[in-house]
Amino acid sequence: MDNRVVEFVRGLRASGVRVSLAESVDAMNAIEALGIVNKDVFRESLRATLVKESDDFAAFNELFPLYFGSDGPPLQSAMEDLSADEQDMLKMALSAMSGRLQQLMAWLTSGEGPTKEELEELARRSGADWANSQQEGHWVTRRMLRQMGYAHLEEQIRQLVEMLQQMGMSREAIEKLLGVVEANKEALAEQTARQVGLQIAQQRANRPEDLHGPDLMYKSFDALTANETAILRQEVQRLATQLRSRAALRRKRGRQGKFDSKATIRANQRYGGVPLELKYKTRKLKPSLVLLCDVSRSTENVVEFMLRLSYQLHDQVSKMRSFAFYNRLEPIPDEVMTKLRHDQPEAAFEVIRQLLPYIPYGTDLGGSLAEFTENHLGVVNGRTTLIILGDGRNNFSSPRIDLIKSLQRKAKKLIWFNPEPRGAWGTDDSDMLEYEPLCDAVYEVRNLAQLATAVDKLMAGG
Amino acid sequence: MFKNIADVRKRLGSQQYIASEEIGTVVYLAQSLCKPILAEGPAGVGKTELAKAWAAAARRPLVRLQCYEGLDESKALYEWEYAKQMLYTQLLRDTLQNVLSDVQTLGEAANRLAQEEDVFFSENFLLPRPLLTALMSDEPVVLLIDEIDRADVEFEAFLLEVLSDFQVSVPELGTIHAKHQPMVLLTSNNTRELSEALKRRCLYLYVDYPTHKAELEIVRLKVPDLRPELAQQAVAVVHQLRNMDLRKLPSISETLDWARALVTLNADSIDQKTLTNTLTVLLKYEADVAKARRMMGRE
Repeated sequence: MDNRVVEFVRGLRASGVRVSLAESVDAMNAIEALGIVNKDVFRESLRATLVKESDDFAAFNELFPLYFGSDGPPLQSAMEDLSADEQDMLKMALSAMSGRLQQLMAWLTSGEGPTKEELEELARRSGADWANSQQEGHWVTRRMLRQMGYAHLEEQIRQLVEMLQQMGMSREAIEKLLGVVEANKEALAEQTARQVGLQIAQQRANRPEDLHGPDLMYKSFDALTANETAILRQEVQRLATQLRSRAALRRKRGRQGKFDSKATIRANQRYGGVPLELKYKTRKLKPSLVLLCDVSRSTENVVEFMLRLSYQLHDQVSKMRSFAFYNRLEPIPDEVMTKLRHDQPEAAFEVIRQLLPYIPYGTDLGGSLAEFTENHLGVVNGRTTLIILGDGRNNFSSPRIDLIKSLQRKAKKLIWFNPEPRGAWGTDDSDMLEYEPLCDAVYEVRNLAQLATAVDKLMAGG
Repeated sequence: MFKNIADVRKRLGSQQYIASEEIGTVVYLAQSLCKPILAEGPAGVGKTELAKAWAAAARRPLVRLQCYEGLDESKALYEWEYAKQMLYTQLLRDTLQNVLSDVQTLGEAANRLAQEEDVFFSENFLLPRPLLTALMSDEPVVLLIDEIDRADVEFEAFLLEVLSDFQVSVPELGTIHAKHQPMVLLTSNNTRELSEALKRRCLYLYVDYPTHKAELEIVRLKVPDLRPELAQQAVAVVHQLRNMDLRKLPSISETLDWARALVTLNADSIDQKTLTNTLTVLLKYEADVAKARRMMGRE
């Protein structure tokens, strides 16, 4: 059992759940305390000790039956209900069939399914080793069933029935036989699916991870593969924790700043006015942010990570409003954040796309700025840090430098995050070089590491 | 002490807390592995209530520490009672003078005084706050650390020592070990991610909105005056609301408030009028109320 639990933990880790050594020890202790007889209790005790994040419950629920489920429902035997004569007839009819199908029909009628080794071998031949996810597993299962002969099964059963009728088997016996075969068919399919699922989970756990989050942090956003993006998404959380503790420390040190004479006198009334307890002015350093994101195709990745980071850090910010712009400007609805949080980035961008449909060469920063100034200027005040995340490419329409100027004056700070390499600024339709001198700070954010540094500086008030 | 999971559930039940199998298992595990529980879930599903019921069921006192932004060690752990120290110094002035009467030099006086220093930094002048109360208590207690996600990250780090070794260091007194290991329940509304280190030390319990059946049971238990068919209807409405896209979903406590409101208003059935009048008990945002009214009106 211990071995199985260790393997299960490896499986969990491979699907992205962080399980520490201490936690697997806890799991073992829990099993010792509660035993494994009651499946539900066993499951709860594993979950309480191993999974500490409700978002990871899905992975747990998917893997648990694969590792600790029975091997699927057992097959029944059709032979018991048949008389000796009828059994002979069945055997004869089966032996008349061709190789692979004979095997399948034998499994389905005898109640003795394929052995574990046979199933493993079949799964391997159907490509289970190459599958990366449980979704691909469904496809492998279908292939495997086809290999076992499920595609021609209906026809085979009909032929078998005909043959048995010719041999003179009674109608009831045939009916009964068909019932058993039908039930076994389902059961075997389920056994197969479980086997495939388990095999995929195991081999995922055994595969060395090729690229780790920290290396990927330096890879440019536009060069990331889908897989790498997924790894980075998990990295964001850890990154945010780091940034948060840094921001909290900074705030705490900032607190030690000015002596507050009024509060000190008030606090020390109870000591007869002897200043035993000194009070300091707490400086509120939490920034209030307004974020304008360019959501054209090229910036999708960087926007996603920016939104994720800002969501994770929302307790470090006193107020946060975000807008998406493309050819027009729209406030980003809460729904987008919820979808991102539940790891559905495609769905999240679908929501934005519905607000701002895609048009080729549609980006119009100048126009969007005009719209922002007209409709949403109220969100910018002297305490706001305004961040523009975009490449500053305007498709040769007016850059509206005047609006940037007035926004910069109105806001506490105007900061620009540009996902393009510095060398590309000002080339073609990029107006970045014109915007740059007007901003209080400009950062190049080509990868997650740069983005994190920029956000950290932002939190520090720079 | 609980004997087994069924016993946990039965005894929580006798405190009017209906515990699912999951809750029973985790509480039992917490007791047998001596680990804190971290309970997460939406607001108002009975996380805090669980601690109260747990304490009552185990016949142990409950010590509660409510977290908030800016909570620090001195508020959570202990404080020196300055006022009392000052008072004692004043009252003991004569004694002090006696002690110091025969010394010649200032240095000698300071040394003599230093020998007596421990008098003023002893447990007499220690004002224990919830954490220290829980550790120093003569009988085992249930310690509830409520809404840990509201506290700062530094405080979370500080809690680690308390939670894993059940001891704290007071610089003037040394390390204080727990006389009895307290049962600890931390709750979080998930407004921010907690640190890995904290999570690792806890058993994790996710408390979600209850099923229709469980919620009906809770309503029947807590508001026995509500007629059964009305309770059935009320719970159905609440579940319907939870499936909607609202800013704040109605929680169990709100269901109970609503049930009590229905009893007070002497409602015979939940018709359009009653619903419109009482919807504000369930929903706390104007936009949500409007949305719900539109939907209910359509049917």
